[in-house]
Amino acid sequence: MERIFQGTPAAEVIRKLRDADGYYITNTARDLSQSDFKNRILLHTDLLAAEERDRAGYYSLEITGGASIHVDMLRKQVDPFVKLKLLREKMPNTMFQTLCRGVNLFGYRPYPQNVIRFTVKEFAPYVDVWRTFDFLNHVPNMQAVLEEVALAGKVNEPCICFSTGPEHTNSFYLGKVQEILDVTGPDIVLCIKNHGGLGTPQRIGELVDGIKQRFPDLVVHYHGHNTDGNDVGRITEAVLKGATIVDAADSAFTGFYGPPPVLTVIQVLKEYGKEAIGINEDAVIRTSDVIRDERQYYQQFESQIKGFQPTVQIHKLPGGAMGSSLEQASKGGFLNRVSEILHKELPRVQQELGNFWSVTPGSQILWTTAVSNVLGGERYGTPSGDLKNLLLGKYGPFPFHQPPEWIYKKVLGEDWQKVLDEEGGVEAIQDIDLAQEKADLHEKLGKEPDNKQLALYLQHPQDAVDYIKFEEEYGMVHVLPPSIFFRQGGFDIGDTLYFSDTQGKEHIIEIGPSPVVDTGETVVYFNVDHYPRYYNFAPILAEGVEPARQALSKEEIMDLAMAGDVRAVFAGNLVEISVEEGQVVKKGDRVAVMEAMKMQTSVVSEIEGIVTAISAKIGKTLQPGDKILKIDPDE
Amino acid sequence: MKKKILVANRGEIAIRLIRAIQELDSTAVAVYEKPDERSRHIRLADEAVLLGDGPRSDYLNIRKIITAAKNAEVDAIHPGYGFLAENPEFARACEEAGIIFIGPPSKVIADLGNKVVARSIMAAAGIPMVPGTENLEKGPKGIATAKEFGAKYGYPVMLKATSGGGGRGIRLTENEDELVRQIPIARAEALAAFDDDSVYLEKVVVNPKHVEVQIIADNTGKTLHLATRDCSIQRRNQKLIEIAPSRVANPALLEEICQTAVKAAKAANYFNAGTVEFLIDEDMNYYFMEINTRIQVEHTVTEMVTGIDIVRNQIKLAFGYPLSFEQEDVKVRGHAIEMRINAEDPKNNFMPEGGKKVSVYRSTGGFGVRLDGFVYQGYEIPEVYDSLLVKLTVHGFTWDETVSRVKRCLQNFVIAGPKTTIPFYLNIVDEPDFISGNFNTSYLDTHPKLFHYEEAKGEVGKLARLIAEIHHHGKNPFAS
Repeated sequence: MERIFQGTPAAEVIRKLRDADGYYITNTARDLSQSDFKNRILLHTDLLAAEERDRAGYYSLEITGGASIHVDMLRKQVDPFVKLKLLREKMPNTMFQTLCRGVNLFGYRPYPQNVIRFTVKEFAPYVDVWRTFDFLNHVPNMQAVLEEVALAGKVNEPCICFSTGPEHTNSFYLGKVQEILDVTGPDIVLCIKNHGGLGTPQRIGELVDGIKQRFPDLVVHYHGHNTDGNDVGRITEAVLKGATIVDAADSAFTGFYGPPPVLTVIQVLKEYGKEAIGINEDAVIRTSDVIRDERQYYQQFESQIKGFQPTVQIHKLPGGAMGSSLEQASKGGFLNRVSEILHKELPRVQQELGNFWSVTPGSQILWTTAVSNVLGGERYGTPSGDLKNLLLGKYGPFPFHQPPEWIYKKVLGEDWQKVLDEEGGVEAIQDIDLAQEKADLHEKLGKEPDNKQLALYLQHPQDAVDYIKFEEEYGMVHVLPPSIFFRQGGFDIGDTLYFSDTQGKEHIIEIGPSPVVDTGETVVYFNVDHYPRYYNFAPILAEGVEPARQALSKEEIMDLAMAGDVRAVFAGNLVEISVEEGQVVKKGDRVAVMEAMKMQTSVVSEIEGIVTAISAKIGKTLQPGDKILKIDPDE
Repeated sequence: MKKKILVANRGEIAIRLIRAIQELDSTAVAVYEKPDERSRHIRLADEAVLLGDGPRSDYLNIRKIITAAKNAEVDAIHPGYGFLAENPEFARACEEAGIIFIGPPSKVIADLGNKVVARSIMAAAGIPMVPGTENLEKGPKGIATAKEFGAKYGYPVMLKATSGGGGRGIRLTENEDELVRQIPIARAEALAAFDDDSVYLEKVVVNPKHVEVQIIADNTGKTLHLATRDCSIQRRNQKLIEIAPSRVANPALLEEICQTAVKAAKAANYFNAGTVEFLIDEDMNYYFMEINTRIQVEHTVTEMVTGIDIVRNQIKLAFGYPLSFEQEDVKVRGHAIEMRINAEDPKNNFMPEGGKKVSVYRSTGGFGVRLDGFVYQGYEIPEVYDSLLVKLTVHGFTWDETVSRVKRCLQNFVIAGPKTTIPFYLNIVDEPDFISGNFNTSYLDTHPKLFHYEEAKGEVGKLARLIAEIHHHGKNPFAS
């Protein structure tokens, strides 16, 4: 059996997969660990790995999609399109795969149809395999993407999101597969998206077997996470029961909650007489050799919690959401209550809210609700906007059953039935005027954007603009290795940094002293390629530009909140101010909502009083200690 | 020579003079004002005399300087450029005090300093000149003369203060109404600035090249030229970049201009070193403009291409030595470019950056490089004097070599603290018209892109900037 090379027509790809005697492997480099860590992997590292990964003979490399479009711009300052182009130059043989959130595309909210179609068209030339899912398995939410991918002649890989529980039967899932096939026709790859790594090997085997019995020609791709340490078992059963493609990752960079190592999968399945088609084991090993030393520079982003999480079978929070959830708990000072939230409240909330799939953005809704239920005192007392939208059916219908009435009452108010009747249902999102959007972007950039820039802007307006401006000022920073890009605490005098530019020329920067001069400015001296250069840094940032960060501790922020001075507890975007000036609030009332990496968190009042001043603006990124609003305590 | 010579100036030219004096085995006496007390020329001189609190007024105070010279028992005074250099009263005061003034006699300075007298001398000698008037008569008669001149030669017309110079006291008028309106204003200003309200008119040569000839004459009447310089690159009539020789691709014309300069100097009975300035219009007509009776800032480019130390010769001539070389000994070899590195912000209309401290000063070096400066690391630039920090002069065998050399030197130069003209010059050395020698006095106005520069150029410069941010903040502020 032979490997499938990039450039093979989609129909031919499907035919080869159907005829496969053995199985293929997708390297899920984009998704190789817990949330923040995987979001930090620089293009520099992926380029280092590129040649060996290309030789390794994977079916595909998942390298874009999910949160990566956002974090490429926001955290790594790299153009998601340029990334794909540069990787393609070094990886001519391997198909690139994306993860698309259906109607939410590469963002966190539903987009209008014309934006979805435009975005897919722009990315299609760079992406060969399109894995698409919806967190409610609501097939209409995927339809526009599926259609555009088919039109572009790329491989369509719609997902059924998988979970466990009494409702999650084979017959339910087979029905979903049929729904998908009704939309796409037979020439697709079907993905079982087991993002939490749920279920036993036997359960996964049963599901694959059920699908293959009913749809013998359907190519099945199993995607799982190793959160509980047992995904190799599930992969093995999936392949033995007929799955043709499975996901794994490079051992040097995967770990807690990521996919299992490629080599382990190969070794185990070999014993069962299953061949990994096209795989060059030597290149698999060498890929990890090449990048192993880079991992130390990502240390600051590794999960706070080490080891495995077999309790994922109880709380079902996917590997992807685990890291950011724990980070939030750590920053919010409630790490000591995480066990209660995960193991008691989350399963309860899940059951109450309809036992849907804990995946973006559903996983965030479940987590946020469980957190506020535990910390807020009153269950469902401070519902997030996303939870309201879920109950209103904005994301789609509940797959199994609706939450009980009392929750509707809590979240939507006493006249919840009326609200539901008037506002409920999947929102028909109006198309937007793309020409107008382009004109707006033109004005923001001060120059004509191309369609790719527009596609990025439509996904993440502010971050795309910031990124494009950043690149003008600082250039193509992906040439900097993580040892420089993520350096903590500055460099030492006399340190010599080496890096190669986009043309491959090596540069040398020697670090000089950084004295504070009379004006209060700090002057940083470097020798750049042996020429002395200096950089001035203002002492105190000018008024109105960016106030000097007050390094407030969590305790201080809490003390201030007790006095009515409500401040951001963690870094994130302010997405909602729930009160108006002059409004009376009670202790525990939600006054604002912040969002960090898909996760919404309510900011609640610690006191009773009147809102006197709102100082933060919706849409702004706040740092810990930044003011949000003031409440005058009721005396 | 073992003489004692007072340097009546400050800044880089004071150091240039002190060096020449000391090379002649003579003693250099510096003078300074209080705001200049950290200036390096004081330390390099053999003696130094504090004139007073200034600012500027003591460098311009003839009595104080003559007194200092007498007290120090000097044989001669070199005035440098600016301040008292072209003040005939100062030259006369020296003569009366029995001190040698290193420069032409006071009468020559007076004659050539008065633009109208100078024009009549040159007219008599048959030197080609921009059409112009005598001093305008007072009142309506002068207005009538002005109108007549405008009608005959066309606008624009330059209205000039007779006693002005160095780019001061000049105004351009586009039409008759404006001319008539400006005459009384110009008179009032000239009176205030030069204590002389005389004004005259000149036809404007549109977008000329500014080409000048260095001349040198001994007291036997032997007058030689040291070839041409081009000083066309100016802002607000202040020179920024000078080259030698002129890039006009017409050797016969340049030779003719040099001969004309010698003729002009002889007509004025010139003695010592001086500069005859010409304008060349777009049709390659050339016109006499004026004779500067002092050492010029840009004398360095002539020294580089001829190998002749002009200041040393000035001093020797003043002490009565004859010129030790003939015209045929003066050979121009290669090209030289001088760039005036000023503490100014070119983007902000060349606003001076005085008052700032030079926190880093790392100069350049290497083959064909000359620096005439006076600032040092830690020096605080006084706000009350001019903004020239250092003159970078390079010499090269070919023009291209010279341009690439000056570019390399600019890239090597590091001055931190004040903004400087260096990044602006870095744009000029990459600009095709400059590289091809195709520039005139409109160069800056017609090349606005020169003002678009960033402090850090190129890919590595941008990345280094990010690394500086990562270093300064202790983490990557964009990856938090």
